[in-house]
Amino acid sequence: MAPTIHYYCPCQSGESVQTPPPPHMASSSASFHPLHSLFFCEECDAVRCNRCVSVEVSGYYCPNCLFEVPSASVRAEKNRCARNCFSCPICRSTLQVVASDPPDGGDGRPSVSLSNVGEPPFFLYCNHCRWDSAEVGVTFEKPTGLAAQLQKFEDSAPESLEFERLKEHFEPFLRTSSLSSLSHVPSTSSHHLPTSSATAAASAALARDVPGVGKYNPPARSRVGRDRTANKDEMPEYKSRMDISVLGQLGSEGDGSDVEAHRRMETAEEIASLEQRWGNSWTTSLRTSDLRPFRIPLHSKVSKRCPTCRHILIKPEQKAQSVRYKIKLVAANYLPAMTVALPHTQAVDATRRPQAKVPNVADDRNAGAMMAGKSYPFHLALTNPLYDPIQVRLSVQRMHVTAVADSTAPEKARRTPFAISLPTSSFPVAAFAEAWEYDDDDDMFGLEDDELGLEMGRTRDKDGKGKVKTVGVLEKRANVTVVGGEVVIGKEARGHVKFNMLVSYTYRSDDPLPSEDGVGTPSRTVAKTPEVKTFTFYTVVDLGPILPREEKVDPDI
Amino acid sequence: MPPIRDKFTIHSRAVVCQDVELKGDITIGPGTVVHPKATIFAIAGPIIIGSGCIIEEAAIIVNRRKEVMRVGDNNLFEIGCRVECPSVGNFNTISTRARVHHTVRITNYCVIGAACLVVPTDDETLDDYTSIFGPAAERRTWSGRGRIQEADLRLKHAEYLREMLPKFNRLRRGDGA
Repeated sequence: MAPTIHYYCPCQSGESVQTPPPPHMASSSASFHPLHSLFFCEECDAVRCNRCVSVEVSGYYCPNCLFEVPSASVRAEKNRCARNCFSCPICRSTLQVVASDPPDGGDGRPSVSLSNVGEPPFFLYCNHCRWDSAEVGVTFEKPTGLAAQLQKFEDSAPESLEFERLKEHFEPFLRTSSLSSLSHVPSTSSHHLPTSSATAAASAALARDVPGVGKYNPPARSRVGRDRTANKDEMPEYKSRMDISVLGQLGSEGDGSDVEAHRRMETAEEIASLEQRWGNSWTTSLRTSDLRPFRIPLHSKVSKRCPTCRHILIKPEQKAQSVRYKIKLVAANYLPAMTVALPHTQAVDATRRPQAKVPNVADDRNAGAMMAGKSYPFHLALTNPLYDPIQVRLSVQRMHVTAVADSTAPEKARRTPFAISLPTSSFPVAAFAEAWEYDDDDDMFGLEDDELGLEMGRTRDKDGKGKVKTVGVLEKRANVTVVGGEVVIGKEARGHVKFNMLVSYTYRSDDPLPSEDGVGTPSRTVAKTPEVKTFTFYTVVDLGPILPREEKVDPDI
Repeated sequence: MPPIRDKFTIHSRAVVCQDVELKGDITIGPGTVVHPKATIFAIAGPIIIGSGCIIEEAAIIVNRRKEVMRVGDNNLFEIGCRVECPSVGNFNTISTRARVHHTVRITNYCVIGAACLVVPTDDETLDDYTSIFGPAAERRTWSGRGRIQEADLRLKHAEYLREMLPKFNRLRRGDGA
């Protein structure tokens, strides 16, 4: 498993606590995110993650025809595309409207007169799995306006009519109760029912059990209805439109007809899979041959705001086909991107590949991971996204190891299972500039990663200008700086090597533009220009699993 | 293994580009279009390709059995596919990067979807109108609706290629020995 770095967002930790939770606990992974999923609020100078931002919908569009649907018609069309976009029930790809074949010439050769539009009846055709809607009987007279043609058919389905009747039945009572309790403002009305009574009916529906289509229980409902409108008039008993047993055959009720169908089944593909069925509003037949095409559900474009200062972090463009953003305050534009690598694994991989065709699996794992009782160097590469150079300081957070899972050696388990050494002084990372602006200077120490990997465990100097060193700045290249650290793993260590690391960086913004970074940062020097700002964030570094050693070796500690 | 003797019989109305790798005893019928960078290897036995077929770039048609491999008319072998079947019928479509093993016999109007692996361990014949799709190579039977329009499209496709390819590619002519 490759080593990873995740960044900490303090939204989960509460008001006063700013330090991240210990990384070896399973629940702490919720607070750590990869850099590409984080945002940065300039006003608050804080990192925001997807969990703490407030999200609002900025528009709806159909993913197939890229038509932007106004929010008013979204509700009317039940969150589906109102134009000719349908989805194949078998393979979920988009269906194409095709005309039927012209009548055959008899000898198999296509007849000459193939008109441009084609001949009715038109049907839907899936190019991927070759399913067509004529198999379920869905055909159209005209190749356009399919949704309208299908709408009539859908509305006359017995489930739909039953649902309409239910809504009409509840409407007067819910309206009076909602008017008396809250000041609900009915929003834009669809052409079916006013919004408030529909949402109230929906909440009433949530209150009762979830039956199948046919299991209507009129006495139960009237009881619920009585609870809902507690002090209001009595609700008359509801009579369903048709007999329950008739309705039971429509859905999968587990009664006789279903059992017969299962007995006659030949292959497993005859039963529709869960993925194909769970998008339906009501239960439908289980057979694959009964699956109908459905209209493509709409997607929404969201804009995200900082929860405290309400500043917009992400605002997409209004056009559905554009993937760019009007406002895009992502953390990757503010925080240095960090990657961590274990050079000894890379060296092993490079040498192992041209060799044995069938390498020993255990050897592979041993070679790649870290073994208990040894020490390994690791490389941290920091990439500076700002247009100014930054000074970075790293520090490892103290870890309180209260209980280690391995209970065989309770004495030794009290010791921290591994020790990390990182460069303690601050080091600079150059500014980001376009590729053609770089004057290629320093690889300051000019070391290759392979050399370093092969020298593991040999050197212990933490500073100094020795030829080979593992801890300290290793390489500076464009706006990337590679620093080396070392991890010493105790003999009794188990689990993953994970530690929290505090990263603080300071930068000068020479131009006094307020747009670069917000005010209110913790440390500011007095000088007008240049101003020095500091930002601090936590990360968790996961170097990978520890493999226990079998034989006894002198510990390196 | 005896050395492979090349013997190409290419119809005068077929369009075979110069950059095609041909090996062995190959017969190509009239109206067939072979794009550059295609590969047709008749290693152990001969290959006979019918009329109106379209073999696109990086397609590999290989015959490793001693029996004749017969490919029918009006088939479409899309980019990157690999076909080793002993027999292929008419009007089939083998989509991009699909692989069909030598244990399979394809009949007519079949569609092998993109990146599908049709590699059964036992010998198998795909019925007419079989459609194979999805990452797990699920099968279903096409009802055949729309086949005339598709056949018409195939003919137009081949006709357009026959007209356009020689303008931009060198053609291989005749037979080699």
